[in-house]
Amino acid sequence: MAGPGMSAGGEFLAGCRDEAPLLLGVAPFGMIYGIAALSAGVPAWLAQLASAVVFAGAAQLVIVQMLAAGAGALPIALTSGLLNLRHVLYSASMAEYVRHLPRRWRLLLAYLLTDEAYAVAVLRYQRRDHSAPPAPAPDLRHWYFLGAGFTLWAGWQLSTAAGLLFGATIPSEWELDFAVPLTFIALLTLLLRERAGQAAALVAGLGALAFAALPYKLGLVAAILLGLLAGVWTVRRLERAR
Amino acid sequence: MSATTLVLLLVFVGVLTFLYRYAMIGVFASRSLPGWLHALCRHIAPASFAALTASALFVSAGEVQFAFDTPRPWAALVAVTVAWRTRNVLATIGAGMAALYLLKRLF
Repeated sequence: MAGPGMSAGGEFLAGCRDEAPLLLGVAPFGMIYGIAALSAGVPAWLAQLASAVVFAGAAQLVIVQMLAAGAGALPIALTSGLLNLRHVLYSASMAEYVRHLPRRWRLLLAYLLTDEAYAVAVLRYQRRDHSAPPAPAPDLRHWYFLGAGFTLWAGWQLSTAAGLLFGATIPSEWELDFAVPLTFIALLTLLLRERAGQAAALVAGLGALAFAALPYKLGLVAAILLGLLAGVWTVRRLERAR
Repeated sequence: MSATTLVLLLVFVGVLTFLYRYAMIGVFASRSLPGWLHALCRHIAPASFAALTASALFVSAGEVQFAFDTPRPWAALVAVTVAWRTRNVLATIGAGMAALYLLKRLF
């Protein structure tokens, strides 16, 4: 736990420690990504590089799944570009806490701003330290953010590497590429709490079948956009009914 | 897709994702985001995952095929059931893969 009056190193280690439990949930995705990337024909070095350059688990799984299905570059770019849009929201939420920092810090922390790092770091910033009076001590919480982000980064790179090593040794009859749609099913179920999300998913799912014949898998993009419309429309309708 | 295209694609997605992450921290630090962006972002993940799942299960080479004589749709059904009951990601993946292996022996 991070407390008031901690040193930069103390904040960093506290961030690492608080992020560590999340690695249990993240590591399997990293491994599934590595395995699925190989079976989609992505060279191991490039799959590992993508984990460093893209550094967004859901988008990487989507990219690999679309590559395996023979999608073109444009629909893949559009779909992953949409899926990652939520990071703008995290960025906005973090802005007030980090805008006083020098640019090199903001560049570094922006790079590390994943779902999981955000979830841990934002709690540190929102926590009120009642145990001590507001001392004129410098704000060192960005070190905590760095610790959390770095821990997730290292875990993601290592689990990708583990998936690539493991994936290279297992035969394709194991059909481990099937773990990617299973992951989508699992995440989808968690996301379907509200009406509007259900409508978005239903319409997008049906749309993917209706537009299956479009070239380069552009039908997926059309289906997702139609799903978004359905979601927005449902929200509007529910609000009006209230 | 050629290796060069793939590298360019991944770099593009990486740069775009970084720009998303940097946008409000580094560039527009003081502005707040419009409500519709929040609303839209809520639906992007469910829509994307649903479209990709439906496509992975029922689209083959640009054609819709309900291949209920193969193990995958049924293994997916097992996964959906487990996901619904447990809301546990790892249990869902495990059950789906186990069902796939079991059904491959039957089909």
